[in-house]
Amino acid sequence: MAPAVYILGTLICLCSAVLLLRAYRQVRRRLLLWSGLCFVGLTISNALVFVDLVIFPDIDLYRFRLVAAAVAMLLLLYGLIWESE
Amino acid sequence: MTDEERTRNDVDRFLQEKIDTVPHLEALLLAWNSRPRAWSAEEMANRLFLSADDTRAILNDLVGEALIAKAAGIPESYLYEEEASRSELLANVDLIYRRELIRVTRLIHSRPSASVRAFARAFRLRKESD
Amino acid sequence: MIDGFLLGLIAMASIIAGIFFLKFWRDTRDSFFLSFGASFVIEGLNRSAVLFTDKPNEGSPWTYLIRLLSFLLILIAILRKNYSNN
Repeated sequence: MAPAVYILGTLICLCSAVLLLRAYRQVRRRLLLWSGLCFVGLTISNALVFVDLVIFPDIDLYRFRLVAAAVAMLLLLYGLIWESE
Repeated sequence: MTDEERTRNDVDRFLQEKIDTVPHLEALLLAWNSRPRAWSAEEMANRLFLSADDTRAILNDLVGEALIAKAAGIPESYLYEEEASRSELLANVDLIYRRELIRVTRLIHSRPSASVRAFARAFRLRKESD
Repeated sequence: MIDGFLLGLIAMASIIAGIFFLKFWRDTRDSFFLSFGASFVIEGLNRSAVLFTDKPNEGSPWTYLIRLLSFLLILIAILRKNYSNN
């Protein structure tokens, strides 16, 4: 169950990242850049959960997952606070 | 939903997604109502009571939204970009703007920032439904 | 300790981001932002809850299920943006 959830999450985040960065290339609004990069980070974080739980169960990647998600969320907050007006 | 409500919804959505200010709407409707005539920025500025620089910026925004095109062969002039699937919508925009001036003006003033709209629009895959 | 700090940071940032999206929903009346906002707020609360479990690393089935819900909200937002005809 858990691996399926994270595969789905990885795909959804990847899709969001691609759409936002594609739109950033077209319209150059920096909110799209920061939020696109946020979803890149969330994609990595979710993919790492899958790698952690399924591919390398004996290596603990928990902290890397958290760092990726934390960086991602800070990028998004930066964009929302400074670029959404 | 009645046809009238649906029309008003379509118009409101168009205004919120594409139109930054009331002068943007007026410039677009001027080009639409006089299509296929091409306008220089100065000519349009005189009609809209704006400076030529402001008008140029507005026209370039509308070009960015593919509502207005630069006229081929004539430097610095602009015309409505013909698009069959949009004709009915623009006719309704024109009508509703004249009938509901105050409501439409308020709607445009309360619109969310262009960045926020661009965020939502980024998730639309099909270009033509913009 | 560091993990707890990171987890708290993610939780807090998710909730704040969610509130931004809910504000965009209020401004645009576009339900896309309602789904997005709900997704980030739910995920933020979910992360906060993990902070108080004994083994945050493992996570309970509830963590996955709630995360699934938050992913599905984003998926629904994207699908509705593309397949609704209003």
